[in-house]
Amino acid sequence: MERQEIIDGLVEILKTVRTINPEKLVGITEDTDFIKDLNTPSTEMINIVAKTEQKFGVEFDDDDIDDLGSKVRNVVDLIVKAKQSA
Amino acid sequence: MDSLAGLPPKDVLVLHGPTKLLVDKFLWHSPQVGIVASYTATERDVKDHFGIVRGVDQVESFTQATAGACNVFFECIKMGCSPLELVDKFLPRFIGIGQVNFHYYLEKGDTFVNIGHIKFNKFRQVVCDGRIYKTPKGLNLDEYFGNFNEERLLAYDLSPDFTLVAELQDITCRAIKKELFNKQAEQ
Repeated sequence: MERQEIIDGLVEILKTVRTINPEKLVGITEDTDFIKDLNTPSTEMINIVAKTEQKFGVEFDDDDIDDLGSKVRNVVDLIVKAKQSA
Repeated sequence: MDSLAGLPPKDVLVLHGPTKLLVDKFLWHSPQVGIVASYTATERDVKDHFGIVRGVDQVESFTQATAGACNVFFECIKMGCSPLELVDKFLPRFIGIGQVNFHYYLEKGDTFVNIGHIKFNKFRQVVCDGRIYKTPKGLNLDEYFGNFNEERLLAYDLSPDFTLVAELQDITCRAIKKELFNKQAEQ
């Protein structure tokens, strides 16, 4: 799965998050920061990650989420890692 | 440990000191569904607050009794350890409150029950919705909730002499590793 494909999938998830302004989802890159750029509440991050598991058919460890950074790149890396170890 | 029912709250919420612990008893607990826990307001709870329990303390009591305690329970099960052993690794973090509506008040000596329904449990984060009810005077709560069940919890099916005090949504707690907490504090 290509990284851009993962980003597109993430954008689909983010569109369902009530607290994120859809206008900010245009032009998301790996450098986009969920908290600084999209104003995602920290409580919502866990929901996004849980939805990510479902959408991409992967499973993350609790420890992976503890150490997760706030950039799109971090989530993409996590999905790639989970896909590889599946 | 199959459930929190009957365990002393001080042995579950071990980081909360006696003056900050606002749960007296876990009355009923179905790990994947929810929990019921009681607390009786003391002189300290109403002091300097015109004789009634502060809303913020009601939210705190509810959070300790539901999302906080259930989070401890889930981690203990996952890690095969006791709440006391968790203290070395994790700190409980109260990270979110959704909508809260208050309907009634609580005075010194009033006993209330926190009834929490688990909405989300993943990645050491637990989210609960629920209600607080003032209980009828003299009711034996152990007996009353002894045969409680999941359907009744989800429907808040209580006898009419319970008084609705508050409705709470999206009460969110997360257990975070101590090392991350220290890292955040340094930033």
